[in-house]
Amino acid sequence: MAADLRRGRLTPLGWAGLLIGAAIMLAPLVWTLLLSLKNNGELVGHSEAALHGPYTLQNYAAIFGNSLTLRWLLNSTIVALGQTAGVLILASLAGYGFARLDFPFRRTLYIFVLVGLAVPSQAVILVQHQLFAWLHLHNSYPGLILPGLIAPFGVFFMTTYMRGIPLELDEAAMLDGASRWTIFWKIIVPLTIPAQSTLAVFTFLGAWNDYWWPLISATRSDMYTLTVGLAAAQMNYAQTSGLGYLMAQAVFASIPIFIVYIIFQKQIVRAMAGTAVR
Amino acid sequence: MLFAMLLGSCAKGDGKTHIYLQRFFGECGAEYGGSTDVAKAEGECGIITTMINRFNAENPDVQIDVNVVAWPGYPQLTAQVAARDPPDLVTMHEGVISDYAAKGLVEPVEGYLRAAGISPDGFTEAARQGVSMYGQIYALPWDTHGGLFHVNTALFAKAGLMRGGKPVLPNTTEELVAQARQFEQRTGKPYLIQSNVGDPAFAARNLYTYMMANGAVLFPDAHHIKLNTPIGIQVATFFRRINAEKLGSQNMDTPGAIAAFVSGEGGIYPTGTWMIGSFEQEATTPGRPLYKNYAVYPYPRLWGEHVEFVSGHSWVVPTRKRTPQQRDAIARFFKFMAAHNYDWVRTGHLPAFKAVLDDPRFKALPHRADIAPLASIGRPLPSNVQRQNAIEGIVGEEAAAAFTGQKSIPQALAQAEHRVNDLLGQVD
Repeated sequence: MAADLRRGRLTPLGWAGLLIGAAIMLAPLVWTLLLSLKNNGELVGHSEAALHGPYTLQNYAAIFGNSLTLRWLLNSTIVALGQTAGVLILASLAGYGFARLDFPFRRTLYIFVLVGLAVPSQAVILVQHQLFAWLHLHNSYPGLILPGLIAPFGVFFMTTYMRGIPLELDEAAMLDGASRWTIFWKIIVPLTIPAQSTLAVFTFLGAWNDYWWPLISATRSDMYTLTVGLAAAQMNYAQTSGLGYLMAQAVFASIPIFIVYIIFQKQIVRAMAGTAVR
Repeated sequence: MLFAMLLGSCAKGDGKTHIYLQRFFGECGAEYGGSTDVAKAEGECGIITTMINRFNAENPDVQIDVNVVAWPGYPQLTAQVAARDPPDLVTMHEGVISDYAAKGLVEPVEGYLRAAGISPDGFTEAARQGVSMYGQIYALPWDTHGGLFHVNTALFAKAGLMRGGKPVLPNTTEELVAQARQFEQRTGKPYLIQSNVGDPAFAARNLYTYMMANGAVLFPDAHHIKLNTPIGIQVATFFRRINAEKLGSQNMDTPGAIAAFVSGEGGIYPTGTWMIGSFEQEATTPGRPLYKNYAVYPYPRLWGEHVEFVSGHSWVVPTRKRTPQQRDAIARFFKFMAAHNYDWVRTGHLPAFKAVLDDPRFKALPHRADIAPLASIGRPLPSNVQRQNAIEGIVGEEAAAAFTGQKSIPQALAQAEHRVNDLLGQVD
């Protein structure tokens, strides 16, 4: 009923505007897909050839013909899931501490974490690279995952969310004899699922799309993530002589992201609308 | 996590000498992963992949493990050097070698050349200059590449600029302007196709080439560039005139310019040796605008001496501990690559070895006789100047701004000088 009422508010003009907006948003995606289904040779100098057949899957076959593509897919999956799990655990614990516990230097420490938001990753990339070299962590999964666990935004996000949960819940649980861990795990975490989902989506997307750190840390091709691997697979002047292949790579790399969006679209929309943070 | 760590640590126990080779040129394992027939391979990626497969097949005691990096691969190489885990062999543009050689990060290769029976006297002059610095040779030169005038001969014929089946190219700037006006009047299309947007190499190549032709010393020492000179202003003014009179295409990036050329939208596209293969394919495909209507030549002499800015691909050996077997394998790889230089130059690049220039097979390749002079007129940038990759970006950006009128010529050249000198001032 509520959905019907919301739909009822749209005038025909509104619908038209919405459709035009959707078409504008979709056009580059459809264009990318069509280009990916064309023979590279046909597209040299004639990208409009994508508007008509014949279409082919040869560019996708070429992607899978590279024996390392599935390995890169696995690497990206491991790194993105590893970072997501790590960030959720660390940010939730830190957020709980900053939001609901009283301890010395809490405010100072929180400000210290927030300062991390203002430090661009490029500013620390050299020392970070040196550190990982000393630890012999380059070309390894820990080397790819660990830097992503430094997530001041996640701590800020979870702290803010947890501050919105009434403290009376903790007090009532304590009266019933619950420990701090029990309160965190059985009461607070279930209440923060919307925020956890949002943070998970953003972390996963960030890790999946990351290029710079994997480029200089994973220097052996069997440890590339998908973004680095696909870039390495491109020949010079791929924009012209390999346009179809380039677009097939773009489509292929975005499929997992697309799936994540489909599954978590409710959380993403809520996060974008700002309702996830109370 | 344990599973992940196990996945990342696989030991090699096959008894072979492993050489870790890092290259760009893309990945094409789907088409050439198992091929050793070099003669049948096409394109940079296909040929290099097949050649390495062939080397592995012919040297059963050696295994070349290939790491393909995103072009140009230098951020990764620098990271590997910093982590003290560089590869054994790396593709490198000759202009970049000095960045690494100056710090001892790549080895002089005279020892490998001797072991491989390769005499530097056999290198072409452009190739020899490109890999020689600080009194030593730091790489096996692999090719010479530079700018060429790719010509649509059908439009040239329509413009009345063909003589004896060959396009008439200008010998002076005034001739070029006159021919360009005639071309534009008779065909309604621009004489030059230009990629002045997002392609700093295009503008830098033009500026460097014609300043060199005028006898300019671009780098008076290792820490300074000189562009804002009467010669620099003269060259930039010429290209500004091309744009002001709309004798060249406007607002095109590289893909746009390539598309325009193969679609017959202009007379000449000044771009590199690397496009010969693609354009020749168009020229042999019935129905395409370039079908039987394609020719290619080095940049014409418009001023002074007929010289041209060139660079080249080479193989360097990063400094690290190696076994005698690995050093022997690298020497054998050098020998193999030198022996197969002809196969590589089928890509369109010019050979790094004089013998290949004289090889009848090379001369029989399409257009090679026309572009061969590039190997003798080619001039690399001075090898004692570091950061040439970054410098080309700065110079090209400012030169394009001058050519297109976004900045005044003295302002753009002065800013290019300032930015480059600032960069070089930070170099040890």
